[in-house]
Parts: sequence; C-alpha cells; structure tokens
Amino acid sequence: MFRALMIAGLALFLPGACALGYSVFQGPSSWMTDAHTFWGTPISLFVFWIGLAHAGTLLSAVFLALDIRLDRRTALIAELSTLVSLAIAAVFPLMHLGVIENFYMVAPLLDARGNIANVRSPLVWDFCCIAVYAVLSLLFFATHLKARSYPALDMFRKPMAWLLFPLVLWVHTVVSLDFAATFVPEWRGAFFPVYFIAGAIFSGLALVNLLLCTEGYRVRLLERLQLICSWILCAIWIWDYMLKGSFCTSAFVFAGVLPQFRMVSAIRENKWGRVAISLSILLGLFLERQFLVSPEFGSPASSSLGWVDWGLLAFSAGAFVLLFWGIQYSLKRFMEVDGSYFGEVDGSDMAEVEEAELRDSPVVYGVEKSKKGFYVHPWSSEEYYVLRLPLLVGFAVTIAFMFWAIERLPFENVEFSLAHVVPLLYPLIALVAVIVLYARAYFVQKVFALHRLEKIVAAALLVLAGACAGTFYAGGSSEGSADARKSASEFGDLDLVGAAWNARCATCHGTDGKFNEKFVREFYPVPQKLDLQRVDSLGVDSLVNVVLNGRGNMNPYAGRLTYDEARALVNYMRSLAVRDSAVAASAAGKQEVANDSTP
Amino acid sequence: MTPLLNAFACLLALGCALFLWREKSSPYRNGALLAGFLLLFGVFTYFGAADSLVTDPSLEHYPFRMLALCLCFSTTSLPLYRRRYLVLAQVLWLWIELFGGIALYYRGFDVAWTRIAAIAGLALGSTFLSRISREMEFCLMVLWLAVWVFF
Repeated sequence: MFRALMIAGLALFLPGACALGYSVFQGPSSWMTDAHTFWGTPISLFVFWIGLAHAGTLLSAVFLALDIRLDRRTALIAELSTLVSLAIAAVFPLMHLGVIENFYMVAPLLDARGNIANVRSPLVWDFCCIAVYAVLSLLFFATHLKARSYPALDMFRKPMAWLLFPLVLWVHTVVSLDFAATFVPEWRGAFFPVYFIAGAIFSGLALVNLLLCTEGYRVRLLERLQLICSWILCAIWIWDYMLKGSFCTSAFVFAGVLPQFRMVSAIRENKWGRVAISLSILLGLFLERQFLVSPEFGSPASSSLGWVDWGLLAFSAGAFVLLFWGIQYSLKRFMEVDGSYFGEVDGSDMAEVEEAELRDSPVVYGVEKSKKGFYVHPWSSEEYYVLRLPLLVGFAVTIAFMFWAIERLPFENVEFSLAHVVPLLYPLIALVAVIVLYARAYFVQKVFALHRLEKIVAAALLVLAGACAGTFYAGGSSEGSADARKSASEFGDLDLVGAAWNARCATCHGTDGKFNEKFVREFYPVPQKLDLQRVDSLGVDSLVNVVLNGRGNMNPYAGRLTYDEARALVNYMRSLAVRDSAVAASAAGKQEVANDSTP
Repeated sequence: MTPLLNAFACLLALGCALFLWREKSSPYRNGALLAGFLLLFGVFTYFGAADSLVTDPSLEHYPFRMLALCLCFSTTSLPLYRRRYLVLAQVLWLWIELFGGIALYYRGFDVAWTRIAAIAGLALGSTFLSRISREMEFCLMVLWLAVWVFF
C-alpha cells in the first residue's frame, strides 16, 4: 500500500512540479486569473488547503476538549494532515505574490522594508494567525507523540486542546476576512466566517475519512458528521444565492448532492464507495473555492482552467501524498498503538473489544462521565488549573503589546481602532500561554526531557522567534539605497523625482498615478481616484501633510522623506494627473468630432 | 427589518429551539434540523427584509445570528453538560456578531459594540453558574431576548 501511494504521489507530483516551475517562471499570466478580482488559482488552492489544515487539529482538539473519545491513531492522522496541509498551503501565497524572494514583505515587520506593514489589513492578521496556528499545531502533535514515552505529558493535551479550539476557528475566520473586508460585490458577506468554518470542517472531515480508508478502517462518527456538514453547507449556499444570486452548480453537485449517496448502504459499506464520496467532496470544495476566489469562474466570459491550473492542483495533491505518508512512515513506531480503534472497524470484532475496554477502563468519557455522577464546579476543572497562570501571562503580554504598539510612530498618526486590532489578540494570547505552559513543564515541573535533536530544533525555533521579535521591535532599516538617497538629494530633477515615485509610491499609486488596483484592492478598500480636480481641490500643502503624517489608508513617511522631497513627490503626482487629464480631454474631443461627423 | 419582525425572529428562534436535542434523538435528526432551521431563517430574512436585503448589509448574517440564538435557547434544555454548552453557544453568537461586525466595519458600518459587550458579559457570567435552576434558565432566556431586541 505504501509503495502504491508513493508511486501515485510521484505521478501527481512530478508533472505538477513542472507546472509549478513554469508558472513561477511565467508569472500570473500562466494561470487562470479572474479579470475582476485579480485573484486566481494559487489563492483558491491556498484557501482550499488552509481549510483542510484547520480541520485536522480542530477535530482532534474539539473532540478531546469536549470529552468525545477519538482513538489515538485517528487523532494523530488528523493532526498530521493539518501540518502537511499547512506546509502545502504556504506555497501558494508565495506564487500569488509573484516576487517570491520578497515573501517577507507579508510579515508585519514594521518598517523593515521601508514600507510600514498595514496592521489594519486582514492579510497581515492572516500571516500572524496562521504562523501561530502552525507552531501550536506542531506542538500539539509533538506532545501527542511524546506522551507515549512521557505519559505525564498527556495532562497538557487537554489544556492545549482548549487553547487550540478557539484558535483554529479564529484563524479560519481571519482567512475569511481577506474576502469579507473588501469591496468586491461577490465577497460581501458578514456571514463569511461561519461559511468558511463550515467549509473547512466539511473538507477536513472528507480528507480524514479518506485517509482512514487508506489505513483500512473507518470511524462512523466522522462519516456521520461529514453527511450532516453537507446539509449545513447546502443551506449556506442557498442563503448565498438568495443574497447575491451567485451559485456554483458544480460544487453543489459534487459536495452537496453526491455525498447523499452515503445513505445508500451498499455504497456506505463499500470502501471504494466511501473513497469516492470523500474525493467527490474534496473536488466539489476545490471548485467552490475556485468559484469564490474568481467569481467569473464558469461563466462564458471567463477563461477556463488550463493545464497549469490542473498542474498546480496535481502538485499540491502529490506533495500531500508524498509528505503525509513519508512522515507517517518515518514516525510509524510512535504512531502505532496496541489498543482498539474508536468506532466500528471494518470486518472485525474490534467493536466488542472496544466495548470491553471501555467497561474496564478507569477513564470515563463524555456522557458516561456525567452518568457516573461526575460534576465539575465552576472554574475548578483540571484544565483551568493548568491554564490559569499561562493564560494570565498571555493576557498581560498582549495588553502590554497593545500599549507599546499604539505608542509606536507607525501607528500614532494612523486611524487605529479596536476593530483593527481585535483579530490579532487571541493568537498572541494563545502563543504566550503555550510558551509559558511548556517552559513550566520542562524547567519547573520537569515532566519531560528532550533528546539532542529535539533540543537543537527547539533552540533553532527559539532563535528564529527571537530574530522575528527583534526585527519587529527594531523595525529594520528605513535607509533607502544609495541610488534612492542620491535621487532624494537631487530632487530638482523631474526624472529623479519620478524614480523616487516609482520606488516609494508606485506600489499603491501606480507608475501612472492611477492606482495599482491589484495591490490596493488586496490591502484596502479602493480609495477615491486622485484626478486633477481632486488633487487641486485638496491642495499641495494638504497633500504634503498627508504624505508626511499619513491619513486613512496612507502610511506616514515623516522621517524617511524631507518636507521638500514630499512636496516634490506631490508635484510629480499632480503632473501625472495633468497628463491624464489632457489625454482624457483629447479622447473626449476625438469622440465629439466622430459623433459630429456621423450622419 | 422592522422592529416587529425582529422581535418575531426572536420568537421563531425560540420556537425552533424546542425541537433540538430531544432525548434519544439521533445526530442525523439534530443535524437535519439545524440545516433546516438555517434554511428557514434564511427564507424568513429574505422575505422579511424585502428590498432592504440589498441596501442593509447588516442582514447578511442575520440568519446565522438567529441560529446562534436558537442554539442558546436550546442549551437550556440539555440534560448534561449544560453550563459548558450554554457558554459555547453564547460564544458562537459572540463570534458571529464580532467578526460579522468587523467585516461590515470595513465597509463603513459601525460595529455593534454594545451588543457584543452584552453577549460577552452574559457568556462570562454564565461560566460562574453552578447547577442551573428553572428560574435561572428563564432569567437567561429573558436576557438573551433583551439583547436581541434592544441592542
């Protein structure tokens, strides 16, 4: 089985890697891009894989937190699928950026790139939240594996699950805000957070059920949940249709209609039937994400998926197969268990074994716990005692961070409200709480020991985190390149001002002064055009003030531009507006002449 | 949405809550009911809002808010783990309100901080509840109704 999977993985991965290489070389023109939103296949794949990445840990953590029994092997498979999906999801935003070597620009490193990170952008929240989620999921998985050698570590899994439960919902909600906080009509949806979570859980359940099929057993509870999720998602799609009139028929068929065949016992009881249903759901949800990201997808006006798009999909699927089973194979001895699996196992009497185990086990789960008179007084559960101090430290650090951040120069001149910063709060609290939790377990309680390799990995992670924190704190260098400084000192020359414009302003405003809409749309609601009439109505002095001190979506550049330089840039912007106005007037004149000459 | 229909939405959620989590009911029944209620709330919002569905973006997540309220009501009749699920249902409501509000904030609408603070306060307060009496159940339901109607 392992060999067959590896061959299948390679068969998908190798042609997919060629498509990936070609698309990196060729850029966004090689894949399907929506003419309206400027987003395309890489973002669809990112959202698809990040959805899958959220479901594995979510299932494992939620079940653990809510006392629903899930056997160790199934939980480990779900958790590993999360980590592998996260690694694959990380590839696609890099491709979408187009300039892969500048990937760090997505990170909120304050002024490190001479262009202050927009803390009000969902993309920046996204980066922070997913990074925290990845670290915590890795720790959750590692704790689960290591608990076999150090059983005392098991007491940290449930508190971790309670931290991960909201985090995973939070993170996928923030992913949904990438869409919901924009002005694209098809993405208007204050219900997107729920919609995205429902889609993620549904796709994650399909993936976990598919993986369990390859392992040779099934968990009926997860299959039932999968069917229930399909009903709820169909209801959400119908609401979306009522609201906006948009509907993705292919997603509805693959992920809404076909999964209902699970009600047919002949299909449900057949392994290949279950595989087909899971694959159908995954395909349907990929098509749905494609439709969401590119609202014109499927319409006659839109381009269809080309070989590069299918190649990218094959690359991601192949990479998942290779990575997942590769890692699982190397961790085999840690993942295998002697105990029974939860939920009737195919063709064996394991269910009876499980019942006997449950009867004799001193540990009670869920409803059984309450039946035995189990009652926890408010604020007195074991998890609460374990998490009390770490959470307190997490809250304290987050509050201190907030005060520090608001005092920082980049923020003090920018309109900055609670709504802009709320999405970052919980991930920060969770990260600090987990660091404190594990530091206490290792140094104070001495619950576990680390092997040499683990120590090296932990030290490397800490150094990396320290470097990120240091860069964040120091803010990097605002000094421009030698050429930029030269151009700044010789601002009388219009060409040099133009070069400075292209270096400093064109990212958002465009080289022609008419906005780089693709970029601006991704980060902000698109502001008003700065045409000649508007520039003149605002006045040069006022605009110089905006350049230096910032306003609305414009970041402040005081300290990096002198007053004269800012003034020269405003004059340059006005010259672009004059040129644009002249072109528009000329075009209007020609149109008038043409109309007059028409009989 | 008129205040009268808004109040009726609340009653509708309360009525639907009666059917959830009945003793010995299967997950399929509860799942189908949840999906059906969401559909019902969607249809209610669609016809109740009429033309304002396009002009009033705060209605975009109205059916989901109704569903969250319905879940809150339904948790009062749970036989086991009542406090836990009562808090979780309120947190779900809080989450829908908060992130729905943030999404709308970017389109120029104010976040309903009063409503969010009220739900957060109720959720936090509920964590202190010990064994929940019938009087306390009634009290909670009245508070949720008040938050829905007045905030």
